[in-house]
Amino acid sequence: MVSCAVLERPGTWRVIGITVGLLLAFAPAVPLLFAAGVQNGGGSMLGGNFGAALGRSFAVAAAVALLTVGIGLPTGVFAGLSDFPLRSFLLALLALPLLVPSFLWAIGISMLRTSSGMSATSFLSGYSGAVIAFVAVGLPLVFFVSLLSTRGISRGQADAARLAGGESNLFRHALRSVSPTAAVAGVLGGVLTLADPGPGQILGYNGAGFAILTSFAAQYDFGLAARQCLTLSALVIVIVLPVVVLLAPRFAASLLARDVAPLAPIRAPLTNWLAPVLLFSIIIFTVVLPAAGLIAPVLRDFPAARVAQEVRRTLPNTLVYAAAASGIATILGFALALIAGRERRLRAILLAAAVVLFALPSSFGALGILHAGTAAPATLDFLFRSKFAASAGLAMHCLPLAVIIAMRSIGTTSPSWANAAAVHGVPLRLYFGRILVPHLLPAMLLAALLCALIATADVSTILLLHPPGETSLPLAIFTVMANAPESLVGALCLAYLGGAAVLMCLAAALARFARDT
Amino acid sequence: MNPLVRVENLAMQFGAEPIFRGVTFDIEVGAHLAVLGPSGCGKSTLLRLLAGLDAPSEGAIDIGERQVSAPGKVLVPAHERTIAMVFQDLALWPNLTALDNVLLGMSQVQASRREKRLEARDALKACGLESFEARRPSSLSSGQQQRVALARVLAVRPKLLLLDEPFSGLDIALKAQLFSEIQQLASSHAVTLVLVTHDPLEATALCANALVIEQGSVCESGNLLGLLRQPTSATLRAFLQQLPTRRGVR
Repeated sequence: MVSCAVLERPGTWRVIGITVGLLLAFAPAVPLLFAAGVQNGGGSMLGGNFGAALGRSFAVAAAVALLTVGIGLPTGVFAGLSDFPLRSFLLALLALPLLVPSFLWAIGISMLRTSSGMSATSFLSGYSGAVIAFVAVGLPLVFFVSLLSTRGISRGQADAARLAGGESNLFRHALRSVSPTAAVAGVLGGVLTLADPGPGQILGYNGAGFAILTSFAAQYDFGLAARQCLTLSALVIVIVLPVVVLLAPRFAASLLARDVAPLAPIRAPLTNWLAPVLLFSIIIFTVVLPAAGLIAPVLRDFPAARVAQEVRRTLPNTLVYAAAASGIATILGFALALIAGRERRLRAILLAAAVVLFALPSSFGALGILHAGTAAPATLDFLFRSKFAASAGLAMHCLPLAVIIAMRSIGTTSPSWANAAAVHGVPLRLYFGRILVPHLLPAMLLAALLCALIATADVSTILLLHPPGETSLPLAIFTVMANAPESLVGALCLAYLGGAAVLMCLAAALARFARDT
Repeated sequence: MNPLVRVENLAMQFGAEPIFRGVTFDIEVGAHLAVLGPSGCGKSTLLRLLAGLDAPSEGAIDIGERQVSAPGKVLVPAHERTIAMVFQDLALWPNLTALDNVLLGMSQVQASRREKRLEARDALKACGLESFEARRPSSLSSGQQQRVALARVLAVRPKLLLLDEPFSGLDIALKAQLFSEIQQLASSHAVTLVLVTHDPLEATALCANALVIEQGSVCESGNLLGLLRQPTSATLRAFLQQLPTRRGVR
């Protein structure tokens, strides 16, 4: 009988498990390296315009990182320190852009520009338009990271800061303590824009992500797409890796639950109205305005039959991709977190790898799977050219989220549970079935739901990997947005937003349940 | 007659850092032992070695007639050592009721489901918890949680009960009540106690013998009252220095 104590002991099996898991997650990159060697024609190694496209992408990413940290950090800290009316509702609204495809927001901004009669060269298009669309998505990331980090400040620390200089000193102390984490989130938010083709394409400011898609889907030059993708990935790694290596041990430790009393919120009457006003201002910018852009054409004409037909056609596949991807990511994420256990070094490595994986372009894995599919015999089509392949590609993209939720959740268990089970001779399967899994279940469901939302929002992977005719709703929107009437595109976007909002409410309820139990 | 526990030349290190070395002692049946020492001296590590949760770096542990641990090896797993352990945080499984905590703790008891249930109820009753069996740990008071942890270990009828600072954080009245209950239960169930604590007062309440670990080795051992008369360890000397102050307060 394997003793439950093994779960709390160090061992080489942990190193082997983490190595195998991470190799699995990064495996699609291997065929991509081979694909990069394929040279079609005599063009330059990376295509003539790729350097300029990269420059545009980096200009957008830098602006997004600066703006999201500049706005998200102070507001996130302020919201973390305050208790105010409509808190849950406003926070849920603010989280919405994080969980829907970024191009939906870009479509909204583009439609807002047309409905308000602005010219195609106004600030809602081109560079500034792309920055606005990406900030709408990146700002909630920095905001929530700042808010959660602020909530991690203990009551004792907060009271000490209050005694030293009142509420304003507490705010300054929180700002200083949260800044490194928020800066990393801002860099991550900026990096995530680099390979995202949607907003740039819609708002007329094409970047590196669009160049990769064009090389593959329009020029049919797989080798070029692979080289461009690898170049972009290498740059992403150069930016993200040093930050992650420096900060991963600290983040990994902070994911372990600490038995501290939560800080008491600021009790100044000012916060009762200032915090909701601040939050609502951000929501107007990140949610209401793009959503208003989507609603405007629908108010003029609502093509209900076409929308219903399109949703009916794509919903089953959307659900299959989302369910399979979230299932794979959640199981793998929890398995990896469990294998890393409480070992500081392994937790830091796992976290660093998760952040790098999250920051890499989604085409990184998808192009690799695609290339493996072209080289593999037809008998392996079920593995490389199927809904499973698409789901696996999506799962690798949302795996980091599952890993982080799992690490946090496993951090809330006490090491003595497994030790007590070992002393009492509780079989491992019984320990998992009756103690560990029931305890982790709310977090597992939360991870599955969030992974499903993120997987659905990942259009690049589905675009590259979906079997012919097996499209998802976001992909259907992405492919028809240039030619279909605005009202249809707007209505489809709103249908997607509605579904995402329902799932998000469910996730919020689960998160609350997980916290309370 | 062999002692219940024989520990010979035990050493433990984590990586290159030694925790303790050359630890040798015996525990006779019914001779409750307190392991004393400052924080970080390896008291809890010693208990984990006795429990079979870790393997020693050097030395051997015998329980009864059997050698249970050898250098780098756990020869007999924790659940086959006829021991039980109350952890510092009690280690109650939070999603199970008090009764289910006791029942799951009886996984290795050879009995029918019905008999196990009766045994578990008896253990809860012995700890004064018969009306709380359907409650989860989070809905019980600290004292009641301590008693559930005790019921869980008593239900498996261990010969040796390891207590890893289970009283830290409790108020003095509750501690006194628990000490008396544990002594009574240990005597009625023929259980020998090994208590790890940094508080000699707790040790005097439950144990006749003591082992003081300081700076990585056994500093002194023997009858606790005898040790308190002529202490050589900093732990016991510091304890005695506090006593006049306490009398002064009274």
